[in-house]
Amino acid sequence: MKLKKLLAAFLAAALCISLVSCGETDSGSSTPESSAESSVSETSDTESSATEESSSEDTAAEDPTAVLTDAKIGVQLGTTGDLYISENIADGLLGSAEIIQYNKGMEAVLALTQGKVDAVVIDNEPAKVFVEENEGLKILDTAYTEEDYAICIAKDNTELKDQFNQAIAELKEDGTLQQLLDYYINGVEGATPYESPEGITYDGKLIMATNAEFPPYEYHDSSSGQDEICGLDVDFARAICDKLGKELEVSDMAFDSIIAAVQSGKADFGAAGMTVTEDRLESIDFTDSYCTGVQVVIVKE
Amino acid sequence: MQDFLINQWNNFTNSFYRNFIEDSRWTYLTSGLINTLLITLGALVVGVVLGFAIAMIRTTHDRTGKLGFLNAIAKLYLTVIRGTPVVVQLMIIYFGIFASVQINAVLVAIIAFGLNSAAYVAEIFRSGIMSIDPGQMEAGRSLGLNYSQTTWKIIMPQALKNVLPALGNEMITLLKETSVAGYIGLRDLTKGGDLIRSRTFAAFMPLLAVAAVYLILVLGLQYLVGKMERRLGKSDRR
Repeated sequence: MKLKKLLAAFLAAALCISLVSCGETDSGSSTPESSAESSVSETSDTESSATEESSSEDTAAEDPTAVLTDAKIGVQLGTTGDLYISENIADGLLGSAEIIQYNKGMEAVLALTQGKVDAVVIDNEPAKVFVEENEGLKILDTAYTEEDYAICIAKDNTELKDQFNQAIAELKEDGTLQQLLDYYINGVEGATPYESPEGITYDGKLIMATNAEFPPYEYHDSSSGQDEICGLDVDFARAICDKLGKELEVSDMAFDSIIAAVQSGKADFGAAGMTVTEDRLESIDFTDSYCTGVQVVIVKE
Repeated sequence: MQDFLINQWNNFTNSFYRNFIEDSRWTYLTSGLINTLLITLGALVVGVVLGFAIAMIRTTHDRTGKLGFLNAIAKLYLTVIRGTPVVVQLMIIYFGIFASVQINAVLVAIIAFGLNSAAYVAEIFRSGIMSIDPGQMEAGRSLGLNYSQTTWKIIMPQALKNVLPALGNEMITLLKETSVAGYIGLRDLTKGGDLIRSRTFAAFMPLLAVAAVYLILVLGLQYLVGKMERRLGKSDRR
């Protein structure tokens, strides 16, 4: 008898909790708006006090630093966006901003659409894809930072690095790199991806470490019926390996494992839209840069 | 030989400095540890309370045949929770159920791990209660106690003692399972180690440090459970 009463009370409590949470859903959906309002007012404050050149409110909303100040910022763990934002927060440049590191860029964007973060800082190219796929998101016109992408090679493997640098120079010269940039990034009509020259024979293979969740640099593609990793980096690496007469093998892993894999010799080199930074140069060597990446800010419209 | 050792030692101290001291990276681990402990404790409370309730429903049904409806719900709950990985449940709760609600990630983790743990705790409690000889219930009833009095005064004290090792085991599992909490963007101990790895690109030392902290926590838990077992075992005949 007592147990029944207890259960009845328990059920009633569960009902109340679910009702309350339903009510919260309404208030929850209104919270992002109010917080957006407050952040706008704060950005105009900082603008009037700090920034010199911009005066109209439109430019203030477009200024990445103003948008990011005191905001909740989502990033992908270990990417340059993560490094820059963490550093800037530690230096006190972004007020009381808070950084939330997700394991995947996609999850950070998902959190943004759900209002769990106010902005996402990520590379330009994947950002374009994310914004295309999700309605109600936009990329700020002004980039947050610009950076050089390069291939990483273990510090003691200078021979391979020299070979790579020479191959990269040749590929820049003969227009192969431009062809790939046109195809993958600029979207030029009629541009084609890289194809190995016919009748090429390989002597050994090179393993490339990458994180195939970073379109259009590297991503999984199953449009041909079977799952394969393709993208600018993969094609470019294949072109380099063809020059060296080696077969390319792609190894997909978490982004923050790539450098460790190259260091330990599990992979010969890493190519994953990787930016050359001081921190990384302490643990690994980079080839010459092959393209420029831009860190942009995604916000809700 | 001596040079080699000195070299190794220098490498070690350099690596230690880079991974933990520089930019006070050790704070990633300490703040992560606090979150891990918060999640584990919260989930433990949710798990034990909810698990106990489910176990009561299930055993009451098994012993008396009452509460058929609640028993069916409990069974469904156990099937779903035990049949899916905790990471998936965690992400469903964070990105699915609380999609439009602004809620602290730590709270989400407590709910997710609590609900998950409850399913296992329920079965542990049930096995403990069912392990008590039905004669105990009969004896209690024939002495004039009613069903719930017998359950609480005679069955439960014996059952609790029996389930303590299994419960301790579940606590240890829960503590280690919280290492996937980083999936929803919060910083637990494992994510703290990942953060250091993503800054220094050294795999060995941060992972080793994280492993050591988990080990120390589990040793502490083991000690507490062992102490409780000894305390409750004082009245045993041997």
